[in-house]
Amino acid sequence: MLEPANTAAAPRGKLHAIVAEFDDVTAVTEAAKRVRDAGYTQFDVYSPFPIHGIERAMGVRSTRLPWIVLACGLSGTAGALLLQWWTNAVDYPFKISGKPLFGIPAAIPITFELTVLFSAFAAFLGMFALNRLPRHHHPIFEHPRFKRATDDGFFLAIEAADTRFDANRTRELLQSLSSHPIVACDEPADDGATPRWVRAGLVSVAVVALIPFALALASRFQDSSKPPFHIVGDMDWQTRYRAQAANPHYADGRAMRPDVAGTVAFGELATDQVLATGKTGADWTTKIPLTVDAALLQRGRARYGIYCAPCHGIAGYGDGLVAARASELQEPTWVPPASLHDAVVRGRAAGQLFDTILNGVRTMPAYGRQIPRDDAWAIVAYVRALQRSQNATTEDVPPAARAAMGL
Amino acid sequence: MNTIPATSNARLGPLATRLRTFALVVALVAAAAGLWLGHARGDGFQRFQHAWLLACAFFLTVSLGALFFVILQHLVRAGWSVVVRRLAELMAANVVVVALLLSPLVVLAAMGDGSLWPWADPAAAEHHPLIAKKAAFLNGQFFAIRCAVYFGAWILLSRWLLRRSRQQDEARDTLPTEALERRAPPAMVAFAVTISFASFDLLMSLSPEWYSTIFGVYVFAGSVIAFVATTILTLRFLQSRGILRGSVGVEHYHDLGKLLFAFTFFWGYIAFSQFMLIWYADIPEETHWFHVRFEGSWAYVSALLLFGHFVLPFAGLLSRHAKRNLGVLTFWAAWMLVMHATDLFWLIAPGVTHGGALVDVLDVLAFLAVGGAWTFGLALHAADRSLVPVGDPRLHESLAFENL
Repeated sequence: MLEPANTAAAPRGKLHAIVAEFDDVTAVTEAAKRVRDAGYTQFDVYSPFPIHGIERAMGVRSTRLPWIVLACGLSGTAGALLLQWWTNAVDYPFKISGKPLFGIPAAIPITFELTVLFSAFAAFLGMFALNRLPRHHHPIFEHPRFKRATDDGFFLAIEAADTRFDANRTRELLQSLSSHPIVACDEPADDGATPRWVRAGLVSVAVVALIPFALALASRFQDSSKPPFHIVGDMDWQTRYRAQAANPHYADGRAMRPDVAGTVAFGELATDQVLATGKTGADWTTKIPLTVDAALLQRGRARYGIYCAPCHGIAGYGDGLVAARASELQEPTWVPPASLHDAVVRGRAAGQLFDTILNGVRTMPAYGRQIPRDDAWAIVAYVRALQRSQNATTEDVPPAARAAMGL
Repeated sequence: MNTIPATSNARLGPLATRLRTFALVVALVAAAAGLWLGHARGDGFQRFQHAWLLACAFFLTVSLGALFFVILQHLVRAGWSVVVRRLAELMAANVVVVALLLSPLVVLAAMGDGSLWPWADPAAAEHHPLIAKKAAFLNGQFFAIRCAVYFGAWILLSRWLLRRSRQQDEARDTLPTEALERRAPPAMVAFAVTISFASFDLLMSLSPEWYSTIFGVYVFAGSVIAFVATTILTLRFLQSRGILRGSVGVEHYHDLGKLLFAFTFFWGYIAFSQFMLIWYADIPEETHWFHVRFEGSWAYVSALLLFGHFVLPFAGLLSRHAKRNLGVLTFWAAWMLVMHATDLFWLIAPGVTHGGALVDVLDVLAFLAVGGAWTFGLALHAADRSLVPVGDPRLHESLAFENL
């Protein structure tokens, strides 16, 4: 006789499974084999402890989980490599300790961690998903003796979802296997839907969890007179030496380190002798080795304004602010800077001007540390333009403009 | 399970005598040929010493891996491994053979012969300031004392482990097992310290100017691989002769396969950790050691280690089905032993093979000589006694062991 699990008059849903109880491992394993051989696939065995070999007895196919874990692990590997390659070598290329922009050895730790992380998540969450967890209720708990499954009871439940399920024949099969009463477990009347208060609670938690993100987003579009909030203080205020400060750790006491002798900074290898030294063989080049265009002249003008104008003056007459102040104070050791419009300076080759900027001359210091090579050439181009502007003849004015100026 | 099938056919029987005779003949012939050829080189036995150290290191790592395994089983009171533990105990106790074979090299170093360990020559310190700074540690006398301590500790420990385990075979109570479990923690500490320093002394000091604090762990990782692989092959050999068929089954192979897989990855992890820090810091005195191994034909050996010692076996042993398929597992065990030998060759030989990564006939002869002697010792230790700890309180658990 099929005993209903619910004796109370609670409303009941459709049949979930027919459950048989067994006394020991041997009996339940034997029953599992019989049920398997009868062609059932949608059934489960419940026991207080893992039973070795029960998967075989039940005919459970190997889980797909390892493949999911493998796929996710490989995604982690590929994702980590792509992320590091993109950020370090493409989006924001930045040389660190002279290592390649995308150095495989440096990328391995993150790749390893991400592979492990993705695999672990896949194993953990995949197991939950494949078992259709979490769920707050299962119809098997309707069985009045099911709590014994945590102690000394062994149960076998054939689910109604099985294609071979037939209430009468399935019951007869189980009755032939077990001496205990066979119990039918029904779905709850509401199909096991999550109770409203649980759903409300979950939604509330989700909403509360979004608040910090909403606040962060809002602050992106608001002006504030308060000082910024520093989450990681020692990244915002790092201990460091300022460029011109003294550093007792070095013999020469300088915080700013000169290049190590015999080394070349990345991208500064002098493969072109003219470009690097301003010389062709032993002679100064007269031609600027870069394409002289408006962009180069603008660059030269800006660099000239920063580095040269303080002494040489904006127009190049040697009357810059520093020079003017020094002669005003009548400094005895002050040597006035040269006017760039002297015949001597005008007669100098472009290469020599370039060399003077980088390496200095007489009392003029070398600017090679501050001014990159191409910028020095830009300054030379601008100086040439300045010189021409201050020593121009009528022929230099375009004919059309000449008429307008009444020349 | 009332009658224990494990006790039937768990002895070497007539195989012991044949094994001993065969191994001894191989050892003596190979040793004689090796010594004669080594002498003929006229290099003061320098090449021969390297080959001999390589062979000794190989079988020493197998014995030390076994020692680790035995201590570990007692430490965690493992049940599954009881049926294979006696083999490990025998291999561990067999470290005495390596001690005997390695001692001539240690004596030579103590007498100031720097052809193997360069620092052993007192003149070396005069030429190299780094060696001079390490002279307080790296000198012949202290080195010989340390070697005596390492090998003394290993021999005493392994013999005690074997003796107690055999006492348990006969005992009516479980007192011997309890003693083993009680002493396992300090034994494990002693093992960690000794294998680490022995690696520094025997292998790392071949390049005395170089150092790597993780080196001991690197050698340890290789040791466990060597031991597990040797055990798998030994079990397969014995079972093919009808021995241990009643006790060791696919479940035990599966677990040995897991250990092989785990330590293959562990080796890769440690090897990379050692490499990456040196690569990143880029300090000449450290990079030199790798630089030598990335030049010429040594680069191919380095690549072989990366793929053969790590990538391929990792992929090959990843699946449960591979570990439970005895043919596949045996292949990987043999493969890993070859890789372990390659690894030691990579550690030891670059100092002496100036022409590139060429295996010398002396390497082969030394390997046969030491391997023969080691096998001889193993058969001697096994005698005609049970290869299964028949009195172990967890034997039933081990016999009934199932992974799935």
